[in-house]
Amino acid sequence: MKRTLYLVLPLAAALALAGPWAFLTCARQFPPADKIGTVRQGAVEDAVALALGVRRLAADLWFIRLMQYYGTPELLEGEGEEEALERGENGAGKYPDFLPVARHILALDPYFTNAGLYAAGSLAFNMARPEEAVSLLNGALIYRPKEWKYVALLAAIGYSKAKNPAKVSELITPLIMEPDCPVMIRQLAAFLNKRMGNYSAAYRIYKTIIETTKDRFYIDNARKEMAKLEKMKGFQY
Amino acid sequence: MKYLNTAWSIARHSLRENYKNRFFGLFVVFAGVLIYASLLAGVMAVDEEARVITDLGLALMELITLVYALLAAAAAITNEIKTKTIYLVFSRPVPRAAYLAGKAAGLYAAFALMLGVMALIHLSLLYFRGFVLPPFYLTAVLFIWCKLIIITSAALFVSLFATSTVSTVAITGILWTLGHFTSEAKFLIIKSSGAAALVLKAVAYFIPNFQLFNARDLGATAPPAAPPGFLAGYLLLWLVVPYLFSLLLFRKKEF
Amino acid sequence: MSGSSENIVSFSRVTKAYRRPGLFRHVSVPALGGLSLELKRGEIAGLLGLNGAGKTTIMKLMTGLLFPDAGEVSVFGLPPSDVASKKRIGFLPELPYFYPYSTAAEALIYYAGLSGLKGPAARARVDAVIEKVGLKPHASKKAAEFSKGMMQRLGVAQAIVHDPELLILDEPVSGLDPLAIHEIRELISQFNGEGKTVFLSSHSISELEKITDRVFILVQGRLAKTVARAEWENTQGGLEEIFVRTVR
Repeated sequence: MKRTLYLVLPLAAALALAGPWAFLTCARQFPPADKIGTVRQGAVEDAVALALGVRRLAADLWFIRLMQYYGTPELLEGEGEEEALERGENGAGKYPDFLPVARHILALDPYFTNAGLYAAGSLAFNMARPEEAVSLLNGALIYRPKEWKYVALLAAIGYSKAKNPAKVSELITPLIMEPDCPVMIRQLAAFLNKRMGNYSAAYRIYKTIIETTKDRFYIDNARKEMAKLEKMKGFQY
Repeated sequence: MKYLNTAWSIARHSLRENYKNRFFGLFVVFAGVLIYASLLAGVMAVDEEARVITDLGLALMELITLVYALLAAAAAITNEIKTKTIYLVFSRPVPRAAYLAGKAAGLYAAFALMLGVMALIHLSLLYFRGFVLPPFYLTAVLFIWCKLIIITSAALFVSLFATSTVSTVAITGILWTLGHFTSEAKFLIIKSSGAAALVLKAVAYFIPNFQLFNARDLGATAPPAAPPGFLAGYLLLWLVVPYLFSLLLFRKKEF
Repeated sequence: MSGSSENIVSFSRVTKAYRRPGLFRHVSVPALGGLSLELKRGEIAGLLGLNGAGKTTIMKLMTGLLFPDAGEVSVFGLPPSDVASKKRIGFLPELPYFYPYSTAAEALIYYAGLSGLKGPAARARVDAVIEKVGLKPHASKKAAEFSKGMMQRLGVAQAIVHDPELLILDEPVSGLDPLAIHEIRELISQFNGEGKTVFLSSHSISELEKITDRVFILVQGRLAKTVARAEWENTQGGLEEIFVRTVR
């Protein structure tokens, strides 16, 4: 009994000190719970995610919801589905929940860089809401201050507002070299290259899109664009 | 040396008892089915399929093994007492310290086996979908095991004074969720005052901080929660201290 | 059947009560009250009493599964909780239970290991004991498939696998068929023939009469009478008559 007590007391004391030490000194890795906010009545789901330590998975599920939301045509009053599809071609639309859901994803998992790039790129270049894209990226940089991809995209959005497509293209080229670059950034790069007359570069990027993405929308669009380029007089690929 | 030999015998027996149990196999099969079903979620994630399949698979592995771990740990000693197989153990020259250590070690090995098999199933799915091994995968699985052995150590201690297996599972389940909330407690402490703040501080300081071992949630890019040396020491303390408290309770237990 | 003068087990004014949870506090249920008895080396001694008399309590005190509230228990001159004394005893509890997924051989190897036997010596001893208790045809069956008689034989096997000096058997023939009872009795005699001591409890007076040298009669946790073989052999009605007179 005595031997056990002589062992347990100092070790229990060490444990009692280790707990507070870890709590007070370890770096915060995630935004606090009050920064997560409630989106689409998902408070219970988020609380369960925090309780089970599955923030990353919760962020994934919200990202799937975001893509489904964004991939569903917005039906305005008095409008048919075909009209909505035509209006929403190239990702245009209001999608009022897009920014709150995107913020929610990054509040749950600030290391989900692709979600941040995808959401900011869609806001800035598809939905013509660069201020919201900038706000999203600035929020993301609080927890990822060294994430160069966010900085590059911020700069690209800035030059896009200044109507400088060449500079935008230059800034996002390093992004599209990354193997897990979001497809809509690649699509933007292809579009900008095509606009600047760099047809070979545009063609190569569209080919990469077909090889790397599973998103049918972008694959079909890339095939369409490649066919257009192939028909151009004097074009060599 | 004799103590170690006895503990080793009991550990081997405890491991065998677990993997021969039909529920062990059922849990693994169930996990395998769910892991493969996560393909659906992966498809919906389009270009983030690799990430979603990885995250969902790891989360399923952890949660399913956790359920098995809580049930197995809660029943490890109490079942032996109930079925009186413990009479055949303690009528022999078996030190109680060796018995406890062996039981715990056997459980830890059983969970490692379960996680290992599930990881192979999960990796086979990633392979068939053409994805590479994520860089943080092995660390994530190792740290899942670390979290499980901490909660098992606590569960074995709780089972020695709890009135039933169900209450042990409930208490340790609550401990698990609180352990993931410790990092969230900071902002709650700031917003609270008086007794509430004291209670929250006690929870944050003295409940096992599972967020330190949540490599699965941090992925490849997040910084580690603490230096590896501290994590190893913290893990060891959370295995040894509950063991010693269990020994204090168990040494004079009558059967 | 033989006896010698050396005491290997001694109970000296032992008291034991069980604490049962009550409405507001624990309720103390007395099991033994100031019990004193000795076991001599080489004898076969029996324990007889009604249900709740304290037979199993005595056996658990001898094996270190329970601790006395007062008094002293010694086994081979040591406290029962001492591992040195436990090495020399083999215990068969009432209605033994084994891990359902283990075979007889696996279970015996495990228990032999806990008693200090290892490697080929353990394996050889397990094979010999399996043969001795008549479980050879069933050695590779899982315990979950065993009948009651087979479980009891396996129980005896685990009690003798490490060749103990003292065998403590709690109701060894409970629920067995006559042939199995005969075989268990033979085993006990064989064991005692090797100079080992046997201490068994039973509800079956005729079984105790056939095999024991002495019987301790327990009434409500107290040793009411110690009866030697010569006494019940010379009494009309035998041990049963003595027991009924003592208990009433």
